[in-house]
Amino acid sequence: MVFFYDDGSEEVQVKKPIPLTLISTLLILIVTLLVAETLTVKVQSTSLRSSPKFYASSVQALRAGDKVEKISTQDGWIQVRTAGGVVGWVHSSAVTVPKFDLMATNQGLKTQASAGEIALAGKGFNKQVEENYRAKHGELSFVWVEKMLQIKISAAQVEEFLKKGRLGEFGGAQ
Amino acid sequence: MRTLARIAPFPATFLTVLLLASCAAVQQGTDILAGAGKISESDRQAIAKTSQAVSATFSEITEEQEYYIGRSVAALILSQYPVYDNRVLTTYINTLGQAIVYSSDRPEIYGGYHFLVLDTEEVNALSAPGGFIFISKGLIRRCRNEEMLASILAHEVGHVCAKHGLQAIKKSRLVDAFRIIGQEAARLYGPEELAELTTAFEGALGDVVETLVVRGYDRKYEYEADELAVKFDVATGYSPMGLTDFLQTMVGDSSTAAGKGWFKTHPSADQRMEKVKNRLSAVSAVPEEAQVRTQRFQKNIAVLK
Repeated sequence: MVFFYDDGSEEVQVKKPIPLTLISTLLILIVTLLVAETLTVKVQSTSLRSSPKFYASSVQALRAGDKVEKISTQDGWIQVRTAGGVVGWVHSSAVTVPKFDLMATNQGLKTQASAGEIALAGKGFNKQVEENYRAKHGELSFVWVEKMLQIKISAAQVEEFLKKGRLGEFGGAQ
Repeated sequence: MRTLARIAPFPATFLTVLLLASCAAVQQGTDILAGAGKISESDRQAIAKTSQAVSATFSEITEEQEYYIGRSVAALILSQYPVYDNRVLTTYINTLGQAIVYSSDRPEIYGGYHFLVLDTEEVNALSAPGGFIFISKGLIRRCRNEEMLASILAHEVGHVCAKHGLQAIKKSRLVDAFRIIGQEAARLYGPEELAELTTAFEGALGDVVETLVVRGYDRKYEYEADELAVKFDVATGYSPMGLTDFLQTMVGDSSTAAGKGWFKTHPSADQRMEKVKNRLSAVSAVPEEAQVRTQRFQKNIAVLK
């Protein structure tokens, strides 16, 4: 079996590498592995799925702040590996992309503005601010807001709905 | 010289390592890179922004903050409208909504998308930031099939995806909030910072609610949400004609509901329809309306008839 691997660093082919070149190449490799491939879950909870579909079976539950390692991408989905070594798929909208994605292009340094979200997690308009706001406005009810958040439609229910309605991959989608 | 010649191809590598080595060095590092012409000015600004995260635009609001803004906006909307609490209808609206969400531009958000029916004959649909979406009984009654209902929900999901609600927040609130966020390392605020943040929070809620309930979004956001509705409809497998059909029923609606809610906060139906028709002509293949869905729609909303 042949594996093709492109780490984007053609520099390694330099003849008789001098120590400094070697160090820089190693550093960029380490940085790539440690930074560029690590994604952080930014939604309250989601599932690591067995295939790149919302109604694929769940492999493992993921929570905000969980770190996963990127393996590959496909149509808005990212194949990842958890710290525990479990492999599955997450939708790209559920994770924060890293600050410096060196692997994303071959054109050099590439930045991702959303990286600031990691630094800001839990800050600003948070639970504490909401509690303070609610203390000032005791008449404002959150009962239905909480009930609304409790409405859970499983991916299996949506799949059934799509199937019966001949929607998505089960019918009309173009 | 030989050494230098070998190092020459890697200045970006060295500077990258330098950049990553220290957060504090980022601003300085990007200045160097920009000065050396190695990265574009926009890249330099993006890196600087990432390192500081204090600039004040809606796009700097994290998903978690969007969720907290949405919770309170939803509470404020629900203080004005009673909920139509029917399990069959609520489950139907949420399943249909979720199907559209799966095919949307931003399917995963902090707290997920949730849909609720408002117990009012007023024709209205509202979406708070963070995925809290409301549709009135009066609006559902005007739908004849699932495609029409799907188009309305897709329009609202579009507003959430594109963060239109957050864009209603005045810049001054964000400047205040981000100043405190920027200076405080702690996530638990002292009384002074908490009071300031709460004031900015209250202001932000006022901006969003006024826009959603009283003034309506800027027209360009309504047209954008219509465009997204067409896109999400087609991606889910619905006929986007549901949107034009719905707008057609709204043209010339002179019922008692006219002039309130949806009619007050949205551009006229015929103006929207013209733009949507243009959009539809650009869609290569339009799914057909299906009888099986219309029957399901009628069964699930029977409680309103």
